Amino acid sequence: MHPRRAHVAGDALNPRLLRARGAVLASLRSTLAAEGFLEVQPPVLVQSPALEANIEALPCADGFLHTSPEFALKRVLAAGLPRVYATTPVFRNEESGRHHAREFTMLELYLHNANYLDLIPLVEGLIVSAASAISVATPVFSRTTVAALFGGDVPGDDDDFFRRWVTEIDPTLTAPTWVLDFPARHAALSELRGNVSERLELYVGGLELANGYSELRDGAELRRRFAESARARRAAGRSPHPTDEGVIAASDQFPRTAGIAIGIDRLVMALTGTPDIAEVRIGS
Amino acid sequence: MSYQTSDFRNGLKVETEGSPYTIVYFQFVKPGKGTAFTRTKLKNLLTGAVIDRTYRSGEILEEADVEEQPMQFLYEQQGIYTFMNTETYDQVEIQGTVLADDAKFLIESLEVNVLFYKGRAVNVTLPNFIESKVAWTEPAVKGNTSNNITKNAKLECGAEIQVPIFVKEGELLKVDTRDGGSYVSRL
Repeated sequence: MHPRRAHVAGDALNPRLLRARGAVLASLRSTLAAEGFLEVQPPVLVQSPALEANIEALPCADGFLHTSPEFALKRVLAAGLPRVYATTPVFRNEESGRHHAREFTMLELYLHNANYLDLIPLVEGLIVSAASAISVATPVFSRTTVAALFGGDVPGDDDDFFRRWVTEIDPTLTAPTWVLDFPARHAALSELRGNVSERLELYVGGLELANGYSELRDGAELRRRFAESARARRAAGRSPHPTDEGVIAASDQFPRTAGIAIGIDRLVMALTGTPDIAEVRIGS
Repeated sequence: MSYQTSDFRNGLKVETEGSPYTIVYFQFVKPGKGTAFTRTKLKNLLTGAVIDRTYRSGEILEEADVEEQPMQFLYEQQGIYTFMNTETYDQVEIQGTVLADDAKFLIESLEVNVLFYKGRAVNVTLPNFIESKVAWTEPAVKGNTSNNITKNAKLECGAEIQVPIFVKEGELLKVDTRDGGSYVSRL
Protein backbone atom coordinates (compact mmCIF):
# COMPACT_ATOMS: atom_id res chain seq x y z
CA MET A 1 0.00 0.00 0.00
CA HIS A 2 1.15 3.49 -0.74
CA PRO A 3 0.54 5.97 2.02
CA ARG A 4 -1.30 9.10 1.02
CA ARG A 5 0.89 11.90 -0.14
CA ALA A 6 1.45 14.01 2.95
CA HIS A 7 -0.65 17.16 2.87
CA VAL A 8 1.35 20.02 4.25
CA ALA A 9 -0.73 22.62 6.04
CA GLY A 10 -0.52 25.85 4.12
CA ASP A 11 0.40 24.11 0.84
CA ALA A 12 0.02 27.15 -1.38
CA LEU A 13 -2.13 26.91 -4.47
CA ASN A 14 -0.47 28.37 -7.52
CA PRO A 15 -2.85 30.90 -9.18
CA ARG A 16 -0.75 30.98 -12.38
CA LEU A 17 -1.04 27.20 -12.81
CA LEU A 18 -4.74 27.11 -11.89
CA ARG A 19 -5.38 29.80 -14.52
CA ALA A 20 -3.37 27.82 -17.08
CA ARG A 21 -5.30 24.66 -16.23
CA GLY A 22 -8.64 26.41 -16.65
CA ALA A 23 -7.53 27.89 -19.97
CA VAL A 24 -6.31 24.49 -21.21
CA LEU A 25 -9.64 22.85 -20.31
CA ALA A 26 -11.63 25.65 -21.93
CA SER A 27 -9.50 25.36 -25.08
CA LEU A 28 -9.92 21.55 -25.27
CA ARG A 29 -13.70 21.86 -24.89
CA SER A 30 -13.95 24.61 -27.47
CA THR A 31 -11.84 22.70 -30.02
CA LEU A 32 -13.87 19.53 -29.45
CA ALA A 33 -17.17 21.43 -29.76
CA ALA A 34 -15.96 22.94 -33.04
CA GLU A 35 -15.12 19.40 -34.25
CA GLY A 36 -18.65 18.26 -33.44
CA PHE A 37 -17.94 16.28 -30.25
CA LEU A 38 -20.63 16.00 -27.58
CA GLU A 39 -19.58 16.11 -23.93
CA VAL A 40 -21.29 13.47 -21.80
CA GLN A 41 -21.06 12.72 -18.09
CA PRO A 42 -20.19 9.14 -17.16
CA PRO A 43 -20.87 7.73 -13.70
CA VAL A 44 -17.93 7.86 -11.30
CA LEU A 45 -19.24 5.12 -9.00
CA VAL A 46 -19.36 1.85 -10.98
CA GLN A 47 -19.60 -1.91 -10.52
CA SER A 48 -16.75 -2.83 -12.85
CA PRO A 49 -13.89 -0.34 -12.70
CA ALA A 50 -11.54 -1.53 -15.47
CA LEU A 51 -10.09 -4.31 -17.54
CA GLU A 52 -6.60 -3.90 -16.17
CA ALA A 53 -4.14 -6.34 -14.69
CA ASN A 54 -1.97 -3.61 -13.15
CA ILE A 55 -4.35 -0.87 -12.04
CA GLU A 56 -5.93 -0.88 -8.59
CA ALA A 57 -9.42 0.59 -8.38
CA LEU A 58 -10.54 2.33 -5.21
CA PRO A 59 -13.46 0.44 -3.60
CA CYS A 60 -16.40 2.70 -2.74
CA ALA A 61 -19.81 1.82 -1.26
CA ASP A 62 -20.94 -1.39 -3.06
CA GLY A 63 -18.66 -0.81 -6.07
CA PHE A 64 -15.60 1.11 -7.17
CA LEU A 65 -14.64 4.59 -8.29
CA HIS A 66 -13.94 4.31 -12.01
CA THR A 67 -10.34 4.20 -13.25
CA SER A 68 -11.44 5.56 -16.65
CA PRO A 69 -14.85 6.33 -18.24
CA GLU A 70 -14.27 3.77 -21.02
CA PHE A 71 -17.07 1.30 -20.31
CA ALA A 72 -19.77 3.97 -19.91
CA LEU A 73 -18.64 5.87 -23.02
CA LYS A 74 -18.81 2.69 -25.12
CA ARG A 75 -22.43 2.27 -24.07
CA VAL A 76 -22.97 5.85 -25.28
CA LEU A 77 -21.34 4.93 -28.62
CA ALA A 78 -23.63 1.91 -28.93
CA ALA A 79 -26.63 4.15 -28.19
CA GLY A 80 -25.92 5.99 -31.44
CA LEU A 81 -23.84 8.95 -30.26
CA PRO A 82 -20.56 8.14 -32.00
CA ARG A 83 -18.53 11.33 -31.46
CA VAL A 84 -18.40 11.92 -27.72
CA TYR A 85 -16.03 12.77 -24.91
CA ALA A 86 -15.98 13.11 -21.15
CA THR A 87 -13.81 15.14 -18.80
CA THR A 88 -13.87 13.42 -15.45
CA PRO A 89 -11.97 12.70 -12.27
CA VAL A 90 -10.68 9.12 -12.23
CA PHE A 91 -9.14 7.18 -9.36
CA ARG A 92 -6.25 4.75 -9.14
CA ASN A 93 -5.24 3.42 -5.78
CA GLU A 94 -1.58 2.81 -4.84
CA GLU A 95 -0.33 5.45 -7.27
CA SER A 96 1.32 8.47 -5.77
CA GLY A 97 4.43 10.48 -6.54
CA ARG A 98 5.53 13.52 -8.46
CA HIS A 99 3.92 12.13 -11.64
CA HIS A 100 1.03 10.20 -10.13
CA ALA A 101 -1.97 11.18 -8.04
CA ARG A 102 -4.60 8.83 -6.67
CA GLU A 103 -7.28 11.13 -8.10
CA PHE A 104 -6.54 12.77 -11.43
CA THR A 105 -8.46 14.23 -14.36
CA MET A 106 -8.96 12.43 -17.66
CA LEU A 107 -10.33 13.60 -20.96
CA GLU A 108 -11.47 10.57 -22.95
CA LEU A 109 -12.81 10.98 -26.49
CA TYR A 110 -14.16 8.71 -29.22
CA LEU A 111 -13.93 9.32 -32.94
CA HIS A 112 -16.13 7.19 -35.25
CA ASN A 113 -15.17 5.80 -38.67
CA ALA A 114 -11.57 6.01 -37.54
CA ASN A 115 -8.62 3.91 -36.46
CA TYR A 116 -5.86 4.73 -33.98
CA LEU A 117 -3.77 6.66 -36.53
CA ASP A 118 -6.66 9.10 -37.04
CA LEU A 119 -6.35 10.09 -33.37
CA ILE A 120 -2.90 11.58 -33.95
CA PRO A 121 -3.87 14.71 -35.96
CA LEU A 122 -6.94 15.25 -33.78
CA VAL A 123 -4.99 15.16 -30.50
CA GLU A 124 -2.07 17.16 -31.91
CA GLY A 125 -4.59 19.81 -32.94
CA LEU A 126 -6.12 19.83 -29.44
CA ILE A 127 -2.70 20.24 -27.81
CA VAL A 128 -1.48 22.89 -30.25
CA SER A 129 -4.64 24.94 -29.62
CA ALA A 130 -4.26 24.51 -25.84
CA ALA A 131 -0.60 25.62 -26.05
CA SER A 132 -1.66 28.66 -28.02
CA ALA A 133 -4.42 29.43 -25.47
CA ILE A 134 -1.81 29.79 -22.73
CA SER A 135 0.82 31.36 -25.01
CA VAL A 136 3.44 28.63 -24.90
CA ALA A 137 5.53 27.44 -27.85
CA THR A 138 3.80 25.14 -30.33
CA PRO A 139 4.93 21.55 -29.64
CA VAL A 140 6.35 19.49 -32.51
CA PHE A 141 5.47 15.79 -32.50
CA SER A 142 7.28 12.72 -33.82
CA ARG A 143 6.30 9.05 -34.13
CA THR A 144 7.99 5.75 -33.38
CA THR A 145 7.01 2.18 -32.58
CA VAL A 146 7.57 -0.05 -29.56
CA ALA A 147 9.66 -2.38 -31.74
CA ALA A 148 11.90 0.49 -32.89
CA LEU A 149 12.40 1.68 -29.29
CA PHE A 150 13.56 -1.80 -28.29
CA GLY A 151 15.85 -2.02 -31.33
CA GLY A 152 13.66 -4.68 -32.93
CA ASP A 153 13.90 -7.04 -29.96
CA VAL A 154 10.80 -6.52 -27.79
CA PRO A 155 11.08 -8.49 -24.52
CA GLY A 156 8.53 -11.28 -24.32
CA ASP A 157 8.51 -11.23 -20.55
CA ASP A 158 6.44 -8.50 -18.91
CA ASP A 159 8.77 -7.87 -15.99
CA ASP A 160 11.69 -7.44 -18.38
CA PHE A 161 9.56 -5.30 -20.75
CA PHE A 162 8.40 -2.84 -18.11
CA ARG A 163 11.71 -2.70 -16.24
CA ARG A 164 13.50 -1.75 -19.46
CA TRP A 165 10.64 0.60 -20.33
CA VAL A 166 10.99 2.63 -17.13
CA THR A 167 14.80 2.54 -16.96
CA GLU A 168 15.91 2.78 -20.60
CA ILE A 169 13.02 3.94 -22.74
CA ASP A 170 10.63 6.39 -21.18
CA PRO A 171 13.41 8.68 -19.86
CA THR A 172 14.46 9.19 -23.50
CA LEU A 173 10.96 10.21 -24.65
CA THR A 174 11.36 13.86 -23.71
CA ALA A 175 10.25 15.56 -26.94
CA PRO A 176 6.56 14.95 -27.79
CA THR A 177 6.52 11.41 -29.24
CA TRP A 178 3.78 9.04 -30.33
CA VAL A 179 4.67 5.43 -29.55
CA LEU A 180 2.70 2.97 -31.71
CA ASP A 181 1.98 -0.77 -31.81
CA PHE A 182 2.29 -2.28 -28.35
CA PRO A 183 2.60 -6.06 -27.89
CA ALA A 184 -0.70 -7.92 -28.30
CA ARG A 185 -0.66 -8.92 -24.62
CA HIS A 186 -0.86 -5.20 -23.68
CA ALA A 187 -3.85 -4.68 -25.99
CA ALA A 188 -6.39 -3.75 -23.30
CA LEU A 189 -9.58 -3.14 -25.35
CA SER A 190 -7.86 -2.50 -28.68
CA GLU A 191 -7.94 -4.26 -32.04
CA LEU A 192 -5.07 -6.61 -32.82
CA ARG A 193 -3.10 -6.53 -36.06
CA GLY A 194 -0.86 -9.58 -36.27
CA ASN A 195 1.24 -9.73 -33.11
CA VAL A 196 0.73 -6.07 -32.17
CA SER A 197 -2.22 -4.10 -30.89
CA GLU A 198 -3.40 -0.97 -32.69
CA ARG A 199 -2.65 1.04 -29.59
CA LEU A 200 -0.57 4.18 -29.12
CA GLU A 201 0.67 6.32 -26.28
CA LEU A 202 1.82 9.93 -26.36
CA TYR A 203 4.95 10.81 -24.35
CA VAL A 204 6.19 14.27 -23.39
CA GLY A 205 9.00 14.92 -20.94
CA GLY A 206 9.38 11.18 -20.27
CA LEU A 207 5.75 11.03 -19.14
CA GLU A 208 2.83 9.19 -20.69
CA LEU A 209 0.25 11.85 -21.56
CA ALA A 210 -2.30 9.84 -23.53
CA ASN A 211 -3.27 6.28 -24.41
CA GLY A 212 -5.49 5.46 -27.38
CA TYR A 213 -6.48 2.68 -29.72
CA SER A 214 -8.59 1.24 -32.48
CA GLU A 215 -11.49 -0.01 -30.41
CA LEU A 216 -12.18 -3.73 -30.24
CA ARG A 217 -15.70 -4.46 -31.60
CA ASP A 218 -16.11 -8.10 -30.65
CA GLY A 219 -18.02 -8.91 -27.47
CA ALA A 220 -16.86 -12.54 -27.39
CA GLU A 221 -13.19 -11.54 -27.65
CA LEU A 222 -13.76 -8.89 -24.98
CA ARG A 223 -15.29 -11.51 -22.66
CA ARG A 224 -12.19 -13.65 -23.22
CA ARG A 225 -9.96 -10.67 -22.27
CA PHE A 226 -11.95 -10.07 -19.08
CA ALA A 227 -11.32 -13.71 -18.13
CA GLU A 228 -7.63 -13.43 -18.99
CA SER A 229 -7.27 -10.22 -16.95
CA ALA A 230 -9.02 -11.88 -13.99
CA ARG A 231 -6.57 -14.80 -14.22
CA ALA A 232 -3.59 -12.44 -14.31
CA ARG A 233 -4.92 -10.54 -11.30
CA ARG A 234 -5.46 -13.73 -9.30
CA ALA A 235 -1.96 -14.92 -10.23
CA ALA A 236 -0.56 -11.60 -8.93
CA GLY A 237 -2.50 -11.99 -5.69
CA ARG A 238 -5.01 -9.26 -6.58
CA SER A 239 -8.77 -9.69 -6.56
CA PRO A 240 -10.26 -9.81 -10.08
CA HIS A 241 -12.45 -6.97 -11.28
CA PRO A 242 -16.03 -7.96 -12.23
CA THR A 243 -16.77 -8.51 -15.92
CA ASP A 244 -18.80 -5.60 -17.32
CA GLU A 245 -21.70 -7.03 -19.34
CA GLY A 246 -22.70 -3.54 -20.52
CA VAL A 247 -19.45 -2.92 -22.37
CA ILE A 248 -19.45 -6.47 -23.81
CA ALA A 249 -22.93 -5.92 -25.29
CA ALA A 250 -21.98 -2.42 -26.50
CA SER A 251 -18.85 -3.71 -28.24
CA ASP A 252 -20.94 -5.66 -30.74
CA GLN A 253 -22.98 -2.57 -31.59
CA PHE A 254 -20.91 0.58 -32.02
CA PRO A 255 -19.37 1.53 -35.40
CA ARG A 256 -15.65 1.45 -36.23
CA THR A 257 -14.17 3.80 -33.65
CA ALA A 258 -10.90 5.02 -32.20
CA GLY A 259 -10.68 6.37 -28.67
CA ILE A 260 -8.05 8.06 -26.56
CA ALA A 261 -7.67 9.18 -22.95
CA ILE A 262 -5.57 12.24 -22.16
CA GLY A 263 -4.24 12.98 -18.68
CA ILE A 264 -5.22 16.61 -18.12
CA ASP A 265 -2.91 17.12 -15.14
CA ARG A 266 0.11 15.85 -17.07
CA LEU A 267 -0.87 17.88 -20.13
CA VAL A 268 -0.89 21.03 -17.97
CA MET A 269 2.45 19.94 -16.43
CA ALA A 270 3.96 19.45 -19.90
CA LEU A 271 2.65 22.74 -21.29
CA THR A 272 3.73 24.77 -18.27
CA GLY A 273 6.98 22.92 -17.49
CA THR A 274 5.77 21.93 -14.02
CA PRO A 275 7.62 18.93 -12.50
CA ASP A 276 5.15 17.91 -9.77
CA ILE A 277 1.53 16.90 -10.39
CA ALA A 278 0.54 18.33 -6.99
CA GLU A 279 1.29 21.82 -8.30
CA VAL A 280 -1.33 21.67 -11.06
CA ARG A 281 -4.11 20.28 -8.85
CA ILE A 282 -6.10 21.49 -5.89
CA GLY A 283 -4.93 18.97 -3.30
CA SER A 284 -7.46 17.23 -1.03
CA MET B 1 14.05 -4.27 9.83
CA SER B 2 13.31 -4.26 6.10
CA TYR B 3 11.76 -1.72 3.78
CA GLN B 4 9.28 -2.02 0.91
CA THR B 5 9.44 0.37 -2.03
CA SER B 6 6.51 2.29 -0.52
CA ASP B 7 8.67 2.99 2.58
CA PHE B 8 11.42 4.64 0.50
CA ARG B 9 12.33 8.13 1.71
CA ASN B 10 15.36 10.32 1.23
CA GLY B 11 17.92 9.55 3.91
CA LEU B 12 16.75 5.96 4.46
CA LYS B 13 19.77 3.68 5.01
CA VAL B 14 19.55 0.41 3.09
CA GLU B 15 21.81 -2.58 2.48
CA THR B 16 22.27 -3.77 -1.08
CA GLU B 17 25.00 -5.50 -3.09
CA GLY B 18 27.10 -5.92 0.05
CA SER B 19 27.31 -2.25 1.02
CA PRO B 20 25.33 0.28 3.02
CA TYR B 21 23.61 2.99 0.99
CA THR B 22 21.47 6.00 1.73
CA ILE B 23 18.56 6.91 -0.56
CA VAL B 24 19.25 10.34 -2.04
CA TYR B 25 16.42 10.34 -4.64
CA PHE B 26 13.34 8.24 -5.27
CA GLN B 27 10.54 8.41 -7.80
CA PHE B 28 7.41 6.29 -8.21
CA VAL B 29 7.01 5.31 -11.88
CA LYS B 30 4.30 3.23 -13.51
CA PRO B 31 3.58 2.73 -17.20
CA GLY B 32 -0.20 2.97 -17.75
CA LYS B 33 -0.58 -0.71 -18.63
CA GLY B 34 2.40 -1.91 -16.66
CA THR B 35 3.60 -2.70 -13.19
CA ALA B 36 4.84 -0.07 -10.75
CA PHE B 37 8.50 0.61 -10.02
CA THR B 38 10.48 3.00 -7.87
CA ARG B 39 13.53 4.62 -9.44
CA THR B 40 16.23 5.49 -6.94
CA LYS B 41 19.65 7.06 -6.62
CA LEU B 42 21.63 5.42 -3.83
CA LYS B 43 24.76 6.87 -2.26
CA ASN B 44 27.31 4.38 -0.99
CA LEU B 45 28.05 5.26 2.63
CA LEU B 46 31.58 3.84 2.39
CA THR B 47 32.75 5.32 -0.91
CA GLY B 48 30.33 8.18 -1.58
CA ALA B 49 29.63 6.77 -5.07
CA VAL B 50 26.07 7.26 -6.31
CA ILE B 51 24.34 4.47 -8.26
CA ASP B 52 20.97 4.26 -10.06
CA ARG B 53 18.73 1.35 -9.13
CA THR B 54 15.11 0.63 -10.06
CA TYR B 55 12.98 -1.59 -7.83
CA ARG B 56 9.70 -3.24 -8.68
CA SER B 57 6.89 -2.40 -6.24
CA GLY B 58 6.90 -4.99 -3.49
CA GLU B 59 10.64 -5.65 -3.65
CA ILE B 60 12.24 -5.50 -0.22
CA LEU B 61 15.53 -3.97 0.93
CA GLU B 62 17.08 -4.65 4.31
CA GLU B 63 17.91 -1.78 6.61
CA ALA B 64 21.67 -1.11 6.58
CA ASP B 65 23.37 -1.94 9.89
CA VAL B 66 24.74 1.56 10.29
CA GLU B 67 24.74 3.94 13.22
CA GLU B 68 26.08 7.43 13.59
CA GLN B 69 27.52 8.44 16.96
CA PRO B 70 28.58 11.89 18.17
CA MET B 71 32.22 11.62 19.27
CA GLN B 72 35.05 13.81 20.45
CA PHE B 73 38.64 13.52 19.20
CA LEU B 74 41.05 12.69 22.04
CA TYR B 75 44.53 11.97 20.62
CA GLU B 76 46.53 10.34 17.86
CA GLN B 77 49.30 7.80 18.37
CA GLN B 78 51.22 6.16 15.52
CA GLY B 79 48.45 6.67 12.98
CA ILE B 80 45.69 5.46 15.31
CA TYR B 81 43.13 8.11 16.24
CA THR B 82 41.20 7.74 19.49
CA PHE B 83 37.70 9.18 19.82
CA MET B 84 35.25 9.19 22.74
CA ASN B 85 31.48 8.94 22.53
CA THR B 86 30.22 12.15 24.13
CA GLU B 87 27.13 10.39 25.52
CA THR B 88 28.43 7.00 26.72
CA TYR B 89 32.15 7.92 27.14
CA ASP B 90 33.02 4.75 25.20
CA GLN B 91 36.30 5.09 23.33
CA VAL B 92 37.04 3.86 19.82
CA GLU B 93 40.30 3.67 17.86
CA ILE B 94 40.13 4.56 14.20
CA GLN B 95 42.84 3.92 11.60
CA GLY B 96 44.23 6.97 9.87
CA THR B 97 43.24 5.44 6.52
CA VAL B 98 39.56 5.92 7.45
CA LEU B 99 40.16 9.62 8.07
CA ALA B 100 42.42 10.09 5.05
CA ASP B 101 42.99 13.77 4.38
CA ASP B 102 40.51 14.86 7.09
CA ALA B 103 43.03 13.90 9.80
CA LYS B 104 44.78 17.25 9.34
CA PHE B 105 41.77 19.10 10.81
CA LEU B 106 41.64 17.08 14.05
CA ILE B 107 42.30 19.14 17.15
CA GLU B 108 41.77 17.92 20.69
CA SER B 109 38.07 17.80 21.71
CA LEU B 110 36.81 18.44 18.18
CA GLU B 111 33.27 17.04 17.94
CA VAL B 112 32.66 14.79 14.96
CA ASN B 113 30.15 12.17 13.83
CA VAL B 114 31.47 8.65 13.45
CA LEU B 115 29.60 6.21 11.20
CA PHE B 116 29.65 2.57 12.29
CA TYR B 117 28.80 -0.18 9.77
CA LYS B 118 28.25 -3.59 11.33
CA GLY B 119 29.93 -2.27 14.45
CA ARG B 120 33.07 -1.03 12.64
CA ALA B 121 33.92 2.68 12.32
CA VAL B 122 33.92 3.38 8.59
CA ASN B 123 33.58 7.12 8.23
CA VAL B 124 34.17 10.30 10.23
CA THR B 125 32.18 13.45 9.41
CA LEU B 126 33.86 16.66 10.49
CA PRO B 127 31.96 19.81 11.42
CA ASN B 128 31.67 22.15 8.41
CA PHE B 129 33.85 24.72 10.18
CA ILE B 130 36.71 24.42 12.64
CA GLU B 131 38.71 27.02 14.52
CA SER B 132 42.50 26.80 14.66
CA LYS B 133 45.40 29.16 15.38
CA VAL B 134 48.03 30.06 12.78
CA ALA B 135 51.22 28.22 13.79
CA TRP B 136 53.34 29.63 10.99
CA THR B 137 52.97 32.07 8.12
CA GLU B 138 55.06 34.71 6.38
CA PRO B 139 54.92 38.13 8.03
CA ALA B 140 51.75 40.13 7.42
CA VAL B 141 51.81 42.87 4.84
CA LYS B 142 50.49 46.05 6.45
CA GLY B 143 47.72 47.97 4.76
CA ASN B 144 46.74 45.21 2.38
CA THR B 145 43.21 44.10 3.33
CA SER B 146 42.41 42.35 0.07
CA ASN B 147 41.20 38.74 0.32
CA ASN B 148 42.36 38.07 -3.21
CA ILE B 149 46.09 37.92 -2.59
CA THR B 150 46.96 34.87 -0.49
CA LYS B 151 49.92 33.16 1.13
CA ASN B 152 50.59 29.79 2.80
CA ALA B 153 49.80 29.25 6.45
CA LYS B 154 50.27 26.22 8.68
CA LEU B 155 47.59 25.81 11.35
CA GLU B 156 48.03 24.29 14.80
CA CYS B 157 45.72 21.39 13.83
CA GLY B 158 48.21 20.48 11.11
CA ALA B 159 46.37 21.71 8.02
CA GLU B 160 48.10 23.95 5.53
CA ILE B 161 45.79 26.45 3.88
CA GLN B 162 45.86 29.64 1.86
CA VAL B 163 45.11 32.78 3.87
CA PRO B 164 44.83 36.48 2.98
CA ILE B 165 48.09 38.34 3.13
CA PHE B 166 47.14 40.33 6.29
CA VAL B 167 46.85 37.22 8.52
CA LYS B 168 49.45 37.03 11.34
CA GLU B 169 50.95 34.11 13.31
CA GLY B 170 48.99 33.34 16.47
CA GLU B 171 45.68 34.58 15.10
CA LEU B 172 42.61 32.32 15.48
CA LEU B 173 40.98 31.48 12.13
CA LYS B 174 37.64 29.99 11.07
CA VAL B 175 38.24 27.34 8.39
CA ASP B 176 35.82 25.51 6.09
CA THR B 177 36.65 21.77 6.12
CA ARG B 178 34.40 20.74 3.22
CA ASP B 179 36.71 21.70 0.36
CA GLY B 180 39.97 20.46 1.82
CA GLY B 181 40.39 23.58 3.97
CA SER B 182 39.66 27.17 3.06
CA TYR B 183 39.97 30.41 5.01
CA VAL B 184 36.64 31.92 6.15
CA SER B 185 37.54 34.68 8.61
CA ARG B 186 39.65 35.80 11.57
CA LEU B 187 38.04 35.35 14.98
